[in-house]
Order: sequence, then C-alpha cells, then structure tokens
Amino acid sequence: MAKKGDMLYAWTNDSALAKKAECGGAVTELLKYALESKAVDAVLAVTRGFDLYDAVPVIVTNPKDLDNCAGSLHCGTLLLSKLVMEYAPQLAGKKVGMVVKGCDMMGLLELEKRKMVNLDNILMIGVNCGGSVSPVAARKMIREKFGVDPDKVTKEEIDKGQFIIEYEGGHKGIKMDDLEDEGYGRRSNCRRCKVKIPRQADLACGNWGVIGDKAGKATFVEVCSDKGAALLTKAIDAKKLSTEPANPKGIEIRAKTEKAMHKLGDKWRQRDFAALAPNLWGTIAEETGRCMKCYACIDNCPVCVTRPDKFEQPDLMVRAGFAPADPMFHLRRFAHISDSCINCGQCEENCPAEIPLALFSHAIRTEADKFFEPKLGKSSYTN
Amino acid sequence: MTVESKELKYVPTTCPYCGVGCALNLVVNNGKVVGVEPNKRSPVNEGKLCPKGMTCWEHVHSPDRLTKPKIKKNGKFVDATWDEAIDLIAKKFKEISDKHGPKALGFQSSCRTVNEDCYALQKFARCAFLTNNVDNCARICHGPSVAGLSLSFGSGAATNPFEDVLNSDLIVMWGSNAFEAHPLAGRRVIQAKKRGIPIIVVDPRYSATARLADDWIQFNPSTHIALANSMMYWIIKEGLENKAFIAERTKGFDDLKAMVEKYADAEEIHGVPLEKVKDLARKYARAKNAVIIYCLGITELTTGTDNVRSMGNLSLLTGNVGRPGVGVNPLRGQNNVQGACDMGAYPNVYSGYQAVAVPENRAKMEKLWFLKEGSLPDWYGSTLTEQINEAGNPVKAMYFMGLNPVVSYPDSNHVMRQLEKLDFCVMQDIFWNESCEYADVVLPGTCFAEKDGTFTSGERRINRVRKAVDGPGEAKYDWEIIAMIAKKLGIKGFDWKTAEDVWDDLRACTPSMFGCTYEKLGKPESVHWPCPAVDHPGTPILHVGKFSAADGKGTMFGLEYREPAEVADAEYPFTLMTGRVIFHYHTRTQTGRAKQLHYEVPESYIQVNTLDAKKLGIKEGEKIKVSSRRGEIETLARISDDVAPGVTYMSMHFHKGANTLTNTALDPLSKMPELKHCAIKIEKIEEAK
Repeated sequence: MAKKGDMLYAWTNDSALAKKAECGGAVTELLKYALESKAVDAVLAVTRGFDLYDAVPVIVTNPKDLDNCAGSLHCGTLLLSKLVMEYAPQLAGKKVGMVVKGCDMMGLLELEKRKMVNLDNILMIGVNCGGSVSPVAARKMIREKFGVDPDKVTKEEIDKGQFIIEYEGGHKGIKMDDLEDEGYGRRSNCRRCKVKIPRQADLACGNWGVIGDKAGKATFVEVCSDKGAALLTKAIDAKKLSTEPANPKGIEIRAKTEKAMHKLGDKWRQRDFAALAPNLWGTIAEETGRCMKCYACIDNCPVCVTRPDKFEQPDLMVRAGFAPADPMFHLRRFAHISDSCINCGQCEENCPAEIPLALFSHAIRTEADKFFEPKLGKSSYTN
Repeated sequence: MTVESKELKYVPTTCPYCGVGCALNLVVNNGKVVGVEPNKRSPVNEGKLCPKGMTCWEHVHSPDRLTKPKIKKNGKFVDATWDEAIDLIAKKFKEISDKHGPKALGFQSSCRTVNEDCYALQKFARCAFLTNNVDNCARICHGPSVAGLSLSFGSGAATNPFEDVLNSDLIVMWGSNAFEAHPLAGRRVIQAKKRGIPIIVVDPRYSATARLADDWIQFNPSTHIALANSMMYWIIKEGLENKAFIAERTKGFDDLKAMVEKYADAEEIHGVPLEKVKDLARKYARAKNAVIIYCLGITELTTGTDNVRSMGNLSLLTGNVGRPGVGVNPLRGQNNVQGACDMGAYPNVYSGYQAVAVPENRAKMEKLWFLKEGSLPDWYGSTLTEQINEAGNPVKAMYFMGLNPVVSYPDSNHVMRQLEKLDFCVMQDIFWNESCEYADVVLPGTCFAEKDGTFTSGERRINRVRKAVDGPGEAKYDWEIIAMIAKKLGIKGFDWKTAEDVWDDLRACTPSMFGCTYEKLGKPESVHWPCPAVDHPGTPILHVGKFSAADGKGTMFGLEYREPAEVADAEYPFTLMTGRVIFHYHTRTQTGRAKQLHYEVPESYIQVNTLDAKKLGIKEGEKIKVSSRRGEIETLARISDDVAPGVTYMSMHFHKGANTLTNTALDPLSKMPELKHCAIKIEKIEEAK
C-alpha cells in the first residue's frame, strides 16, 4: 500500500509502452489506468504536432491514445492550467487527469485560490522540469551551436546540465550554462524557476535519482497526496505497474540535483533582478511603451482574471484606440497579478512587442514574498 | 498528429488579416471555433499575434454570416437556391458577353481569399469569356511595387524575408507604419533595435512606428522622389556610391546621376533640412548592410511606381540587394495580396507573372485550359478602378469576390453611382457589406477557418490554410462556386474536388511555383517562391548574383518629382493622408465583429494638428465636418502634434469616412489611384450649418 511520502521506482508492465515511453513509462501507465478505472473521465495530455519541436495539447478519453503522448518534449512550452476551463466547458464537474510541470501545477493552484477550478476533480501527475526551450529558438540553437540540421534530430533531452540531441548519424551534448551564456538555451523564466519537483501535485515523477540496474528503465515517483497514493496502490494491485523502494543513494542524488537546479535558479535571479534594479521605472516604461494591446499576456496568464464587461467600461487612464497602450494598461495588470505571478513565462514568450513581462512580474512577486503577507494566503509552493 | 480530440482540437492555420502570414492555432470544440492559441512552432511569428490575430476567430460563427444565395427581385433581395443563382449568373454573363463582347465584363478578385479562389476566378474569366478584364485589389495597394520593382529588379516582390532585418546594420522604414499595419514584421524591427541596429523612420507623421525610431525624418507628404533624389545627389557627391556593384550589376547610372544633379537641395519641396538629408544619405550609404522596408506611404500615389523605383535606385546605388541583411521590402498588405497577384488575377499577366502579350504564354494556357488555339486575348484588360469607371459603358456585368468597393475604393460616391449603371452584378462574400446592395446576386462564400488552401505572405512564403470547421448554412468554398458556374456554362477544366486539385492545376502552368507541393507547404517553414522543382528548397532571398531581369541587371532610373494630382489650395487648405490602425482590418466586416477591436476603435476619426485645431476652435473628440471635391463627411477630431500643421490623417476603415473624400487620379504606370493624398477643408459643424 503506497502512502504519502513514499519514494519509489516505478515502471509499466506493458512492454510495448516501456519501449515507447521514457524511463519506465510510469506516468503514461498511471494516466491510462486512471482512465481505464474511471478514476478520471478524461486526460489532458501533450502530444507531438508537426515534429518534436511542436507540442500540442489533447484531451484523451481512449486510454490507447495515451501511448502517443508518452515521452517528453523539452521544446514544448505549453501552459496547461487554463485550457480545460477555457475551451472544454463540458468537462466542468468531471474528473480530469493532467501531466503537470511545476508551472502547470502552480497555475492550477492559483486558479483554485480564485475558485475557478476544483482540484478535487483534477488528478495531477507532476513531472520534474529543468526548463524548456522555445521551439524556433531550439531549432536555431541546434543549427548554430550544434551544427546539426534540426530536421534530422530524432530525440532531445536535458540531462545532467546538458542539452543533448540524438540525430541521424550521432549524438551531441552541450552544457546548458555555456549555451545560456551565449544567449541560447532555456526560456529566461525557466532559468529563474525553482519549482523543479512539483510536490504539490498528487505524484511527483521524473528520472532524477534512478540509479543502479533500473537506470533508464524506471520512473522515480514521490507520493505527494492521498489521492496519488490511492491511484498508485490500485495501479499496482491491478498489475499495471511494478514498483520497488527507491535506492537511498538515488534519493540523495535526486535531492542534490534539485539543490543544484535551485542554485542555478538563484544565480539567474541574481543576474536578472540585479540588472533590472538600477533603472526599474525607466526600463518598465520603455519596454511596456511598445505594447500593442494584443492581450496575449492577459489571456495566457493563469492569474489574470478579467471582467466579462470590461469593454463596456468608460475609459479614463487607458484610452480606447491608442497604440502603444497607455502606461496604466500595464501598471494595473502588474497590480492585479501582484504577489501571484508563478513565473510561467507565457506572457513574455507570447508578447509580440518583446516586452520582458515575466521578468517584471516575477521580480515583483519575489520581492513581495520577502516582505508582505500574501493577499490570497500563503501558497503551498515557493517560487 | 496521431491523437486528436473533438473537445480540444488545434488546427494550425494562417491568420486572415495582414501580409506577414502569422501562424496560429484555431481551437475547435465539437465543430465550432472557440478560440485562438499560439502556434509557437512557426518561424514566422513564433506564437505571437497582434490584436487582430488574437481575435480573428470571433467573426467565424457570427449570426450575420451569409448562408444562402440571394437574388434581387423587384428591388428586394430574396433567398434563392444555388441552382437558381448559378443559372441566373451563367445566363446573364453569357448574354452580355455574346452581345457586347469580352470587354463588357469585369472580374475583381479579393486579396483576402486563398490562392485557390483567386486562381479559379481568373481562370474562369479567361476560359469562359476570353476576357482579360480581371484584377485584384493590389491595384489600390502594392500594384506600384509590382510594377516598380519589376522595372528596377526584374521581379515585383520583396527581396528578403522579414526576419532578415536582424542581419542588417541599418533599417530604413519609408512610408511604413509596420508597428500598426504589420505588427509581427514590426516585431523584427523591435528585435533589431534591441540588438543595437539603428532604425530610421521616414514618415510625415509621428506614427506608432516612428516612436521606435532612432531617427524620425518628418517630411512633406508625398515628396518621396525629391527626398530620395537629394539623398542620392549627396551619396554620389561624396563618392559613397558602390562603384563595383554599379559597374557589375546595374545599368542606368548616368541617367540617375544626371537627374539628381537638380536635387542638391530640395528642401523647398520635401521640407527636410539639408544637413539632415546629408546625414540620412551618409548613414544609408555607409552602412555595410542596409535594408529599406517600405509600404503604402509611397505606393498609393500618382507617382507610386516612380516612388518605388526611387527605393530601387537607392538600393542599387549603394549595392544593397542580393544578400542577407539588405534589400527592398514592400510590406504586402493583405494576407493574400501577394498570392492574388501570383495567381494571375491581373489584366496583363497569367499566374507567375507570365505576360498575356507573349504568344508562347497564351499558347501554353490554351493547351492546359482546353481552349481553342489562338483564342486567348493579348490585350491589357481593364484595372480595378478602370472597370468601375467603365461601368455602364463598356462594362455591363461585374463579378466581385470578397471585396467592398464602396468603402475601400477611392471616391465612394463615384463608386456607388457607377455600380448603379451595371446591368448585372454579382457579389460573393462572407458578410453582407455596404457594397452588396448594388448587386443583383449575392453569394455566400466561406471564410479562412472553413476551407483548405494557401495564402502567400509578403516574403513570398506560401503558408497553408487549414479547414477547421464547416461553413455556415449553404455557404460554399469560393473556388467551388466559380467551378459551378463554369460547369453550368459547359467550360472544361473545372472538375476540381479539393483545394489541392486547384493548387496542382496552378502548379502545372506556373514554372516558378511548380516545386511548391502541398506536402512541402505543409511544413511550418514552408517554401518561398520561386521554387521551380520539387527538390528545390525555395528562394528566400532574391537577386543573389544576378537580378531577375532578362539581362540579369538592376536598372536605375532618373526620376523627376511630380506633385500629387490634387494639392491643398485656398479652397481646400489641408492635406489628407490616409492609412490604417492596428485594431482594424480594412472595412471591418471581420474586425468590427470582434469585441475588443470594436471597443478600441468604434468609429472614424481624423488627426488634426494642435495649432490648426486651435485656429479652427476645435476640441478633442468634437464631431467636425470634413469635405473634399468629391464629398463630405462628419467625423471625430483627434488632436495632436503627430501630424504637422496643414496635414491631416484618417484611417480608411469606415463607410462615409476617408474614401468619401479621396481622389481617383491614377499613377499612369500602375493605374494606382491616389488614395494617400488629396485636399480637404475642415469646418465646425455649427459653422457648416
């Protein structure tokens, strides 16, 4: 019987899936089992679109379809938190399973604080995340730094501080640090992120800490909730999944890896925020002064909640029909987000005017968390 | 993709608005488009969108959509069946063609519909009625670019891709308000600026784009040639021209040199202080790699073609063509204006710019289109506004696909009067617009979300459009409607079953695009034409090594400055310039139905200088009367110093707005009407009463 706090190696008993999946296929197996056993009515998963640089979300109801969602896409930069709520209202009140990176999870937790999502209905299978690379940037990096045609890459991976590719004719790894010092690598918000193991999900899974003969063949699973424990137990009982206690040395290695990533996150915060500090107002004014009011930052942000009648309000400080937008367009948005920014980076990545919005909002939160009591109560996570 | 879900289906497609060609995902839930999500995989825009792209889905399921054919009976429009409508159209067009000949018909193609629709329309006009009276709305947009760059370089399209400005050492934006009109191309300029690449914006107005500039050159409206000639005088005077490039790759330098001798100091014409002209000239000539981005600010004038050739001159003089980081790039306006031209919806060329005047081209089309040898006409057909002028005589029947001439063509009142003179008129559209009441038959087409096909963006990249949902009611694919009429008339060659069939038909007769198969176009990177073979990678940069012209050379021209056809005078003392705002697309049939966009700009306004406003006693937001020799309107005053004294600016998006005032005078070379310069007077409404 699994219980909260357990740390296990887990792997699927389905040999075909084991081949397709990464490191034991436990995440996919658990979601399949959740569907088969009707623990959930649907799964929001991610699949490959055009190629391995193209991550596309899908709502899956047929367990077999989940085989096509196995594996990881480090060049996919989706945020799943709002998708079901926004686009699939017919799933309201139904049980949904989701694979969540740290940011997906934090987004859901924030939505729950605002009563926009009921986490009792969501099964969160967390996955470790060291950060993601925007697809076009990744292709550019592979072409320019690795000297490989990105269309020839068959697998990509971030492991032990390296970005590694396998391609027709070989494989190559370059240190993330080196790539990022030259302007390549992960999205800038990912570099500052310190939610690498999503412990506020029901299960936190990944490949860190899987050593010995199970290396590469099992998933490290940390049981984080009773819901997670129950699912895991049932899946084991149904002979879908095999487990063994995690190797204590492996547990240590996992903790060390997390610590190293946190240290890296601290380094980037130091760098990014120290650079911002001396001319904070001026920088914000200059950057937001190019805003064209596309609303991508607002639409994609899990903590931005707009009024349905927002276009029926008289304008005063944010004049209708003026681009670039008046400064209050952004000041009121920063005030609204205040101490809730999860640093998911969607605002910045989707901004057509190249405004470093995540930098600003993350800086505001990071500083606010040090000084003020949080408006909506203390978060269960720290970012 | 191997997994799809009915509740959350992402359909990757291309934005229906401007010529940047951004990719986006339409989100479909059980057969309805419910939103737009970023398509980060696309190299064009990397998931980013402007306010129009973000809201482009909102009009798809509007209850206002046309869903049935309509026929005007006794002055009223009644619903009809497709059979009735097709029968009537076939009958009337044939009647008129038999009685009055091929010059009695006029066909006008949208530049917003897919390539397949445009190709179908021009093929139909030519096969069914042996007429060259086919045109598209590039005529009132970048027609001068096509004409001008063809003369300068041998090919009328942008030379370098949007992203390539990141390889430049200097970016000159001339008559382009990319921040508002081509936001995701403007993004490339923003990225360039962040890398320290200097930006120079040449615009009479302090536009949103000018705000990004390191240098803003304010000059008198429409004096481009004088300014460019003056720059070139100083480039030559100071020996900064690229002598090697000129010798090897160009001709016409002597003509150019002789002409610019007269423009040593033309400040009286263009209004820019001499020292500033010299500075601009030196910066452009000395930059290792300089690119000119230009747009309608220079084309929509009676000297449009010459203005474009001036840009050609500048780039040839300094050797800035034919490699990364340089070039002359017209930012093509609509999502498929490049495509409509490429498809041969033009009165003097077939697809791929194959001239109708060349007998071998006609023979080839006759063969491929199952026409009698020698039957295709060789004459230059009537252009867009010429057809309007000819309505009644000799043009008796017209077919408009996806256009709103009453609002978007110059001199609205004239357009309305002329349309009344037609014996028969068909309008095919997705919404009832202000022009439809002048039709005899209105047909329901399908929008970008409801069809497969392709759009060609301003960088000659052919992007896939993918069907996400079915069209409403009885609406049909636009190419399908045309094929139905063709088949009713017994014309061969219209048996297409899919959009790809139409595209392959196009490929078969167009060498420059033969290599552009749907398979290749299906990749996010797609292909830039020319792409003559299936294993050819496409051509992002033109004129590498040699120009597209027959002799491989670029041509410089000595161009004399000419005033616009109508300039401010005692009676009409203000200059009116026109343009676009970021929130709307053309006549707002689509953007007007997006909540946010309608909220931002719900009605027309005119930008007036603060000093002028003071003299006239006009306040911000006041409704005022504006008139020209062609008509009068009421609009809101927006007062600022963005425009110089004596100069005003209006966007063209509104009925009973800018185009009630604008002039139809034409550029003789490209038949472009002078949409961006006319004379107006402004009055307070009480005074006017």
